[in-house]
Amino acid sequence: MNDIFYKLTVSHFLILAAVIFAIGTVGVLMRRNALIVMMSIELMLNAANLTILAFARYHGGAAGLQGHALAFIVIAVAAAEAAVGLAIVVQVFRSRHHADIDRMTLLKN
Amino acid sequence: MRPIVSAALALLLWIGLGRPAFAQPAPEPAAAGAAASADQPAEAGSARAQAGFQNGRAAALLFWVLAFATVGGSLFVITRRNLVAAVMGMVGTFFALAALYAMLYAHFLAAIQVLVYAGAIMVLFVFVIMILNRPEEQPWALEGLFGKALAGLAILYLLVRVGGVLWDVKDTPHAVVAAPRPQMVDATRSGALESPTQAAQRPADWGSTRAVGRALFRDYLFPFEAVSLVLLVAVVGGIALSRPHREERDEAAGPDKAS
Repeated sequence: MNDIFYKLTVSHFLILAAVIFAIGTVGVLMRRNALIVMMSIELMLNAANLTILAFARYHGGAAGLQGHALAFIVIAVAAAEAAVGLAIVVQVFRSRHHADIDRMTLLKN
Repeated sequence: MRPIVSAALALLLWIGLGRPAFAQPAPEPAAAGAAASADQPAEAGSARAQAGFQNGRAAALLFWVLAFATVGGSLFVITRRNLVAAVMGMVGTFFALAALYAMLYAHFLAAIQVLVYAGAIMVLFVFVIMILNRPEEQPWALEGLFGKALAGLAILYLLVRVGGVLWDVKDTPHAVVAAPRPQMVDATRSGALESPTQAAQRPADWGSTRAVGRALFRDYLFPFEAVSLVLLVAVVGGIALSRPHREERDEAAGPDKAS
């Protein structure tokens, strides 16, 4: 029983990544500020990265390094997403003077 | 919140830097080669596990501290009303995640995590928040002086510890590079992170900048270049989006009809 606390396995990292992903999902669904929503998306991307790296460590060898390359690409794409998303948020705030995603209903219905 | 964050960082660094398991050189029978150590006796593996990092209680304690830091930090992020506080919690979460990456032998990605996420993306968030929010009336609050003093002491302690570790580094870089790495040996139960055979077969620089760079520039050159194109498109798109459009500004200045 104490092995759960004392011996690290790959499941520890996977469960932690799942918890972080769930928190990010809750943030995306519940919060209304667009910036908080974007930060929650970053949290979810980081949870996915943690999963990738845990499996890479579990696999080991050259195939594990492919997981590292994938995580690197995920980080780069997340940076691009943050840049474009923040530009959109700035534009929306300039035109409407708020960043509340529940009030952005221009494309609804 | 700042004293809590900085005290947590100091605690993390104290645990990470101060463990004696890092300083002990692990006995290296695996250096003879993978074939020789594949049929290694179990007691040699357990002896290495005693000196190793990832299998000990220090590693487990480090993992639990980092897990609570990441979960608490992300809960902090999604519950804050103040945006700057949320960004600070995000930075702490990213630091803890980088430490978790380093625990998974992804050293290069841990450094990239700190540089790109905690360095660049969060600075971008802070800039946007500063553009959107109005300035505060009282930028300097004097009531939280005790917390600030505590944060200052924690940061001072952190600097002293980091300086002490850096002071102990040998002058010749060869000694740093050739230092034996602690290895994780545990295959007694399923789901263990690495078997002794795998640990013996793992090259010494697995997950380092060199190895990841080889994987990126040899096998994944086309995705790497595609990512550079994606970043270029993102830069151009960000500039095109955030540039004020002169002809649209007049009609956008009016009240929003949809809301």
